[in-house]
Amino acid sequence: MADHSSKLDIVQATAALKSLRSLRNNVGTLFHSLTEGIGLQSGQDSKESRFVAELQQQLVTVQSGVKEFEEAINNVDSVQVNLGNSGHLNQDCTPDALNLYESLVTSYRWTDNLVEYSGYATTLLSQNALKRSTLIHAKRRRIQPSSQNVPPHTIDNVINSVCRSLGDNVKIETFRPYGSSTVLQITLGKIMKGIVVLKRLMVEWVVVKGATEDLIEDGKIDMWGESRYKVFRKVTENANAAMLHFYSPAYPELAIRSFLTWFNSYQSLFTSPCKKCGHHLHNLLPPTWRDLRTLDPYHEDCKP
Amino acid sequence: MLFFNFSLQLFAVPEGKSGPQVIEMLTKRAIALGAVLSGSFIVDCETYSSTASLGAPRSVHLLHNSETPASVFALLEAASGNKTVALVADNLFDLLMLKLSNFYTAKKQTKIESRGPRFEAGDFLVKLGSVTMGPAFKGILVEVEYQACSLPAACWDLIREFMQGFLGGCVPSTPPPYIQVCSFFLLPSRFGDMLGTIDGINQYLEQFNAFRKTTGIR
Amino acid sequence: MANQNPFSAIELFTSALRSNIIPNQEYLLQGSVIDSSAEVLHNRLRGLCDAAETGPETFHDHEMCFSLKASNPGGTPQQQQPFLLRVRRALDHPEYPWQLRYLGQPELGDKNQPTVLRSCIDIACTPNVVEFLSELGCRIEFEYVLKGYLFRKGRMKVTMSKIFRMGQAKSPDSLESVTGSYLVELSLLAPSGQDAVADEIKVFAEQLRPLVHLEKIDYRRLQQPFT
Repeated sequence: MADHSSKLDIVQATAALKSLRSLRNNVGTLFHSLTEGIGLQSGQDSKESRFVAELQQQLVTVQSGVKEFEEAINNVDSVQVNLGNSGHLNQDCTPDALNLYESLVTSYRWTDNLVEYSGYATTLLSQNALKRSTLIHAKRRRIQPSSQNVPPHTIDNVINSVCRSLGDNVKIETFRPYGSSTVLQITLGKIMKGIVVLKRLMVEWVVVKGATEDLIEDGKIDMWGESRYKVFRKVTENANAAMLHFYSPAYPELAIRSFLTWFNSYQSLFTSPCKKCGHHLHNLLPPTWRDLRTLDPYHEDCKP
Repeated sequence: MLFFNFSLQLFAVPEGKSGPQVIEMLTKRAIALGAVLSGSFIVDCETYSSTASLGAPRSVHLLHNSETPASVFALLEAASGNKTVALVADNLFDLLMLKLSNFYTAKKQTKIESRGPRFEAGDFLVKLGSVTMGPAFKGILVEVEYQACSLPAACWDLIREFMQGFLGGCVPSTPPPYIQVCSFFLLPSRFGDMLGTIDGINQYLEQFNAFRKTTGIR
Repeated sequence: MANQNPFSAIELFTSALRSNIIPNQEYLLQGSVIDSSAEVLHNRLRGLCDAAETGPETFHDHEMCFSLKASNPGGTPQQQQPFLLRVRRALDHPEYPWQLRYLGQPELGDKNQPTVLRSCIDIACTPNVVEFLSELGCRIEFEYVLKGYLFRKGRMKVTMSKIFRMGQAKSPDSLESVTGSYLVELSLLAPSGQDAVADEIKVFAEQLRPLVHLEKIDYRRLQQPFT
């Protein structure tokens, strides 16, 4: 653990930098008046003595500036990173060890910052309870095992049973391209396609595209590219909102079932008019929002 | 890639108005709906008929669409009744048609084309075409395509609502017959897409044939 | 995306025709090599042609030849002359577009003309081209299967292929080769008026000289004994 005294003190450091700057400035003035010299009318005593006096005064300013700077530097200097025995790496003179000390210090600082920031984050988070689910408090103990570790075949079973209950127009294919995370490719008839990335049984990411757009690029599923069409970009946005709404680690199975049922309601994306205004089009888009409970279609601006 | 979920609509030219005037009026309405001008388009059609030496008469309609500039659509009306074979080919097919001149000759004065501005409005594509046959102005064809949906039957209401927005009452409330018979959409292969564009071309041919039969402005 | 002011396709096409940029002339030399020597030629070609390290492309095509002629005798002399069209498809790549090809009468020219010259139009098209041609009034004359290698050397194309009879079952196993040799064709497609390329072909043919004799084949003379 790093103790906080070894952190670089910003106030001190700024003060030191400031005094360095004024020192530089003073030295600059000194050299400037030196190069200017006495001036054209030499031989006049008063002028010469005045010049010397001026110079003297400037030298004094520089001197005090140096003192000030040294003091400031001393204050900052306490910022030595305490590396214990590894600090001796500094003295190692073999060429390939030269960078070690530097990177050691850098990573030390990094870890230090990390600890500090996470400390702040914890305080902030405990002040503002951001809960994705209302159930999390009551049943915290029981939930964790069920949502954290789900074997792939259980996921497949759940998905298959949901898929069957949704009817013939939905096709769900599962992939596991990157190890344990499941990727669902959902085809809603000839209306649209979606990619849903799961973490265990919880939805992590949704992308929606048109029925004629390709989801697979160079043999890989394209999870990040967005649709060419405005309507599906909007649906993607809404699906991500719904994903957050349905998120429930307590009942992951229920959550995915509700999400997929909601998603399935987009079968009527182009056919059913908005429940509120009764029109198909608003801002050249069909009703892209589906009510989370009733699954009624609404335009973006007609949402209840 | 192109989709073919579009509707081609005849816009009756009002009494006492000229073609350019109507186009200008429709342009204003489309822009009011949020459409943005994006270039222009042309669809043209030339018809070749078989010479007497080939026996039963057949005709080949050669169509080009600026939306698919590298392709030629050759629609052959078979000698045996109502069959039409639609071939999509490279644009060198034009050259072959010239080589075939001993057997198939172009009908005089029947070259017909629709050209005009092209607009994008959200996922809609709108093309306002003035139809001319030879030097004569024949009428106005409005093409509306909803690119996001490839199922004509599914989005007809949507397209109709959009068209009514700027064409007014001349839009029929029932889907045109092609929507019910359109059967080859969404074939899995590349040819599926190619054949898909044929559906739109077929609609153009139907309209063009109707224009050829009428004298004056439709 | 449509350009700002699209020309009609016909305008573009006629201007392309006028400026002579459509490659519609084929310069051609042909020859054959018996199966036992094919490997030597294959190796020689591999060494001479481009992409020596990756080797040649292979192809496995089905070609059909259609003819269009007047059905009643009343036509003009030109109409009595059959008009030939070929359709080719890649059996090993069913997803490729089909190819429709028109070949003109080969011109042998005088002795100084180094290659056969014939007009040639290659058109990629949809698979319903066979139906299209039959409705157009064409009749299928013959068909065969070609299997072999394609080499490239700059703009030149060298094919080495075996011709097979079309089996009744039309399955690849029932292939029956027509001859015990390979057909070798050296060709180049160029816009008309570029006769200099013919010499290029001639030079390349010379390099293959001891292994295969590539010549101007006069079909009319070949057909004589049979008529």
